[in-house]
Amino acid sequence: MAHYDTAVVGGGLLGCAVAWHLARAGTRVLLVEKDQLNRHASGQNAGSLHFQLEYRMVEHGDDAAREAARALPLHLDAMRAWAGLEAALGEPCGVAQRGGLMLAETPAEVAALDRKAALEREHGLDVDVLEGARLRDLAPYLAESVRAAAHLPGEGKANPRLVTPAFARAATRHGAELRTGHRVTALHRDGGRWHLHAEGRADTADTVVLAAGVWTTELAAMADTRLPVFPVGLTMSATARTAPLLPHLIQHVGRRLSMKQTPEGNILLGGGWPAKLVTRQGRIDLDHNPELRYESLTGNADAARVVPAVMHLPVIRSWSGMTTLTPDQLPLLGAVPRRPGLYVATGGSAFTLGPTYARLLAATLLGAQPDLPLDGYSPARFGALNFV
Amino acid sequence: MNEQPDVVVVGAGPAGLAAAATLGRHGADVLVVDEQQRPGGQIYRQPPAGFTRPGRQAKAGRALLAEAESTPNVRWLPDSTAWGVFGTRAGLDDYAGPAPGPGRIRVGVHTPDGGRVLEPSALVLTAGAYDLPVPFPGWTLPGVLTAGGVQTFVKAQGLLPGHRFVLAGGHPLLLVVAAQLVDAGARVVEVAFSQHPRVLLPGPRDLLAAFGSAGKLAEGAAALRTLRRARVPIRFGTVIRSAHGDDALDSVNMSRVDSGGVLMPGTERIVGCDVLALGYGFVPSTELARQAGCAVDWRPGEGGWVVAHDAWMRTSVPGVSVAGELTGVAGAEQAEVEGRLAAYGTLQALGLLDADRASALARPVRRVLARRRRFAAAVLSRFAPAPATLGALVTDETVLCRCEEVRAGDIRQALAEHPHLGTANAVKLVTRAGMGLCQGRSCAPAVCGLIAAQTGRTPEQVGTFTAQPPVKPVPLDALAAAERHA
Repeated sequence: MAHYDTAVVGGGLLGCAVAWHLARAGTRVLLVEKDQLNRHASGQNAGSLHFQLEYRMVEHGDDAAREAARALPLHLDAMRAWAGLEAALGEPCGVAQRGGLMLAETPAEVAALDRKAALEREHGLDVDVLEGARLRDLAPYLAESVRAAAHLPGEGKANPRLVTPAFARAATRHGAELRTGHRVTALHRDGGRWHLHAEGRADTADTVVLAAGVWTTELAAMADTRLPVFPVGLTMSATARTAPLLPHLIQHVGRRLSMKQTPEGNILLGGGWPAKLVTRQGRIDLDHNPELRYESLTGNADAARVVPAVMHLPVIRSWSGMTTLTPDQLPLLGAVPRRPGLYVATGGSAFTLGPTYARLLAATLLGAQPDLPLDGYSPARFGALNFV
Repeated sequence: MNEQPDVVVVGAGPAGLAAAATLGRHGADVLVVDEQQRPGGQIYRQPPAGFTRPGRQAKAGRALLAEAESTPNVRWLPDSTAWGVFGTRAGLDDYAGPAPGPGRIRVGVHTPDGGRVLEPSALVLTAGAYDLPVPFPGWTLPGVLTAGGVQTFVKAQGLLPGHRFVLAGGHPLLLVVAAQLVDAGARVVEVAFSQHPRVLLPGPRDLLAAFGSAGKLAEGAAALRTLRRARVPIRFGTVIRSAHGDDALDSVNMSRVDSGGVLMPGTERIVGCDVLALGYGFVPSTELARQAGCAVDWRPGEGGWVVAHDAWMRTSVPGVSVAGELTGVAGAEQAEVEGRLAAYGTLQALGLLDADRASALARPVRRVLARRRRFAAAVLSRFAPAPATLGALVTDETVLCRCEEVRAGDIRQALAEHPHLGTANAVKLVTRAGMGLCQGRSCAPAVCGLIAAQTGRTPEQVGTFTAQPPVKPVPLDALAAAERHA
């Protein structure tokens, strides 16, 4: 039994990044992960750094988009954070911010793109809607059907295989203790300290950070509190390698699509095509990878037609992953009400925005005033769930 | 095709042909999906239609081919790849697109006419096996081929892929391929077996088991006569240590191994050749079954990971059965009887055969199977290459994953740097081994073997690369244009 300043639960990007911030500030940090590091959403997503509002945020009308736009200050911060990340961690993470394009093919989509861009510019995002020659000059590879594209120069990609291990190694260098294969089975507060049971060990910590993605609800329940998050199964596909042809991150304002080319030359496809959450005896089995769906694989391939040059490439693998959403699609970030010393960080583009979430949360734990307002993301907004 | 078949059979080798013929004869509507132009599989491979060639045809399979091709209710989808099985797991599927009808399995198929989605009630997987890839320095040079690959050149196309051939490995197929090369006019410099004769040459019944059928054994005896007549040297306890050449193969370095499979220093010799045909054995082609969610077992003597099944060849996934090499590499005769057994099991599930009748029909088939399995268990492991021999051939510089150019040293280094790594999937994520166009088929055995040896984990703990759709590469435009119900 050992005592730590902070115990972080979850070995994904958020957990490892929070551990790094806390450890380098000189605090004693323990990180526990039930599987291997980077085993779940952090390592399985397609690595998009998308700072424009996503298709899923604008597909339900302007009010919903306006709601989602409340997180745009975080987008701006994350765009800068990724640019400095490799230098801060001292190793490559595959970060390449060569610009992103969100495409429109119909007049209605062009109008939606214009409204979205106006909303984003209100929040200080440097989005430009390109048409005609300006668009073709920037992206000659686009299909003729593409009428306009919202361009954001700071968008791009990072390599999900590298980012979380880099955070983990940096945290370890600053003295954080990482334990993999340790599944937390009990979490309670007693005598002013949090007690954490995992793999037959019992440790204590002054504060606990839940950075556990889809497992957040289950862990919060151990601490006798309710945090609503929902698992969503997603589909990603990769083609064989090809010569460089796609420098940008591609998204679509009217369809589920994300597309990019890796440094090795593979084209990665994603964008929110669902995968089927597997159930066991009628209950969602979070430990089982979602099942890939025929309609998602073929539909995602169909969405790729906006870049004709990729269509002859063979698809060589697809995979599924789970992401975490909250009921209002905003992140869940900050102190858990009525549970002193318990913090949470998950939900809402947690790969793209992860470095920012981690920095702000660590600042809160270290007693500093975060430089961006976090009130909108506080778990307190779901307090009604805990008043029963 | 307007109506969905009752059963989709994947593969048209001995197991698939027997399953399709038996299913069709008892009234099931069967669709056979096969990657080749004509049925027969690798072992009963027929030349393409309209391509006649003097010499031996696939005699042994002729009766089975005739039976399957004349069975009513059996339709064929040649030149086609089944790339994914969907809807086999319970779950939340409330997004776009209807689920397959109750009791139906969804199968994605890539055909010359575009992407199709089949929705049969039952699926029989008989995908066979492929050559076991064995890495050593120089194995990626042009001119280094598999024995099966060389055989395909000669049998299907009547072509010789070179002039001077060395054949090496551990499987008796080498003798057959060598004789086919001699018959086709090639110069076979040497045939080298890694095993010692007393391991390799047991009694005739054991040989029968190894060859898979009496017809194949006769073929083996004929092959030996052909090689003797042509004065082709056959050596035992000999392995290829490395292959050499600037742009293509020009020589191999051969070395003796002792009876424990350990390389003997000072026994190396250089032999000139422009084709090296390797035949160390076969790996069950389990990817579609694993992708569908079927449980697998580790059986090193039968080729590695094999699909688990019950007495009716039913897998752990309802509606999905298996037959042939993917239940364990055991040859054509066993594949055929397993195909019939899988058909009887499936016919019961379809209500086309009652349990008593199925048991009666299965009885003689089970007798053949029991006999085959006794020999297989005792004998086939002799032909499996010694892991010590194969491991010793790999240097740090040896490329294991040729698609992504990952060397053995890269994997050893990754394991040293990340002590928590211990599974094939985790190593793939860190090193990119297995992420290329061959989807891990040419590196999985070597990579997994290296992880196990390096970390002291068992093959079961290391596992293998997860099989993901498409289990064979399918062009993006074909997926995009594929039939969709949504």
